[in-house]
Amino acid sequence: MESLLITVGLVLLAFLGAPLFAVFGAVSMLAFAAEGIDPSVIMVDLTRIFTNPTLVAIPLFTFAGYMLAESKAPVRLVNLARAIFGMIPGGLAVVALVTSAMFTAFTGASGVTIIALGGLLYPILLKEQYPEKFSLGLITTTGSLGLLFPPSLPIILYALIASISIDKLFAAGIVPGVLLVAALTVYSVRQGKKFNLQRHPFVWSNVLSSLRAAAWELPLPIVVVAGIYSGAFTATEAAAVTAFYVLVVEVFVYKDLTLFKDVPRVMRDSMTLVGAVLMIIGVAMGLTNYLIDQEVPNRLFEMTRTFIESPTMFLVVLNLFLIVVGMMMDIFSAIIVVVPLIKPIAEAYGINPVHLGIIFLTNLEIGYLTPPVGLNLFISSLRFEKPVFTVVRATLVYIGILLAALLVITYVPALSLWLGEALGVK
Amino acid sequence: MRALRALSGLLTRIEGWALVLFLSIMIVLSFAQVLLRNLFGSGLIWGDQLVRQMVMWTGFTGAALAAAGNRHISIDALTKFLPARVRHALRVLTNVFASVVCVYLMLAAWGLLLSERESGGEMFLAIPEWVGHVVIPAGYALLAIHFLINAVENGRAVFIKVGGKG
Repeated sequence: MESLLITVGLVLLAFLGAPLFAVFGAVSMLAFAAEGIDPSVIMVDLTRIFTNPTLVAIPLFTFAGYMLAESKAPVRLVNLARAIFGMIPGGLAVVALVTSAMFTAFTGASGVTIIALGGLLYPILLKEQYPEKFSLGLITTTGSLGLLFPPSLPIILYALIASISIDKLFAAGIVPGVLLVAALTVYSVRQGKKFNLQRHPFVWSNVLSSLRAAAWELPLPIVVVAGIYSGAFTATEAAAVTAFYVLVVEVFVYKDLTLFKDVPRVMRDSMTLVGAVLMIIGVAMGLTNYLIDQEVPNRLFEMTRTFIESPTMFLVVLNLFLIVVGMMMDIFSAIIVVVPLIKPIAEAYGINPVHLGIIFLTNLEIGYLTPPVGLNLFISSLRFEKPVFTVVRATLVYIGILLAALLVITYVPALSLWLGEALGVK
Repeated sequence: MRALRALSGLLTRIEGWALVLFLSIMIVLSFAQVLLRNLFGSGLIWGDQLVRQMVMWTGFTGAALAAAGNRHISIDALTKFLPARVRHALRVLTNVFASVVCVYLMLAAWGLLLSERESGGEMFLAIPEWVGHVVIPAGYALLAIHFLINAVENGRAVFIKVGGKG
């Protein structure tokens, strides 16, 4: 009875806006106390996960992403993409999709994309006569597009929590990520044809000059991706090189940011996010160990098995469940709380853990757009000064397209698994 | 109230610069390690360990700043639509709760520190293991202080109309 009251109280506190790490911390401490175990055991878990070599990649990539967002890299990237895609109908929309996807891979879908790139693209879209509803929905949607591409923060975190190989999950995300971008591109081009807007002719000299302008930044994604897949360096080493390189290029080559004024500010901003995520990771291990100790995943499996027999049916229920999770929780807490619970169940249904990771991340990517709490909706609403309801309505079509792509990703495991196998990623 | 705000400002400034120091060490040293390994075939033995320690140190100082700036991850789906006054009242509750939890986490970390001092493990360069872990209780203590300050400020806001919206 008492423990039930405490549980209800903690759940209530969580929904009333208490920091989630404090809620999880309280759960794991109470659980250990009930078993008569010294609470410093939680801290043993915490030091173990905090000194995990892979974890180093999280602050380094996040810092690099924030540096890029604060520099003029978005302008250079957009200029280049416009020079290349400007000639096709809906070209500017395609520019938004491609640049945002590349960018989000580095910024890890923390809302930075909408502010840095969306803030730049939205006025241009309107100026070129794209309808407001189309543009608003597009920019809101692109804020989390690219989450499946390496080296995005949620992929690293997922691999860490589910203890599967980061390199495998990196490889698995590429084809499904491309599918999402492609589906939205097809829609944008068709709409672009319908709007019948002015197109920009393809001019080689424009392409070359914008290529030259972005010459220091363009190699980054290629070096990171190629380096990791070829086994030349680990994700952590890639993060170290990226962070240092971006720092040098933005401060000394482009001179977009100053070393003593801007860089400390960017460091503090980016590490506030990292600190918030790390606090949850720190206490999550205690929580996870407790859940596994209490055989919660086993019991959940017993329960689901009585209702659901086939893996196909399980995947349907999983998607519905994850969309609800995405509506209520941000992606980082969702990974930490939900993954340890569903991973063993999914494995019991014979679902590949790497494929499960991609399904999970795609669902949560859509979760960024679903009311009532989708983060992108609120960032867009704030950034472009539109009521949340208007943003929601503008985004519905895009959610529909992403859901269709999600179904394909869910029921065609080969999309997620093929590339990793072809490359022989371990 | 003014003293509280001054304390909060002083703390965040110190934390901010500490964070810049820790992250700078992490960036430079981790890059140097990659260079050394690839060009000379060997890095500093203690380099990777120091980088990993810096992740923890950066994480806790960043978390302290997040507490000061109300940027910890939480579910705000329901509270978003409440009147400002109710929201402030709820924030008093959630911040006090977070502060109490952080005190307990600090005590747990303190316990770990004591037992590590006794067992006397070494990290690297003859630095005892517990030195690297000092940041854990210290970090939770800072978090507890920031949450408490937030609670007081929100408590004040319940009674004082802010910008006429109250």
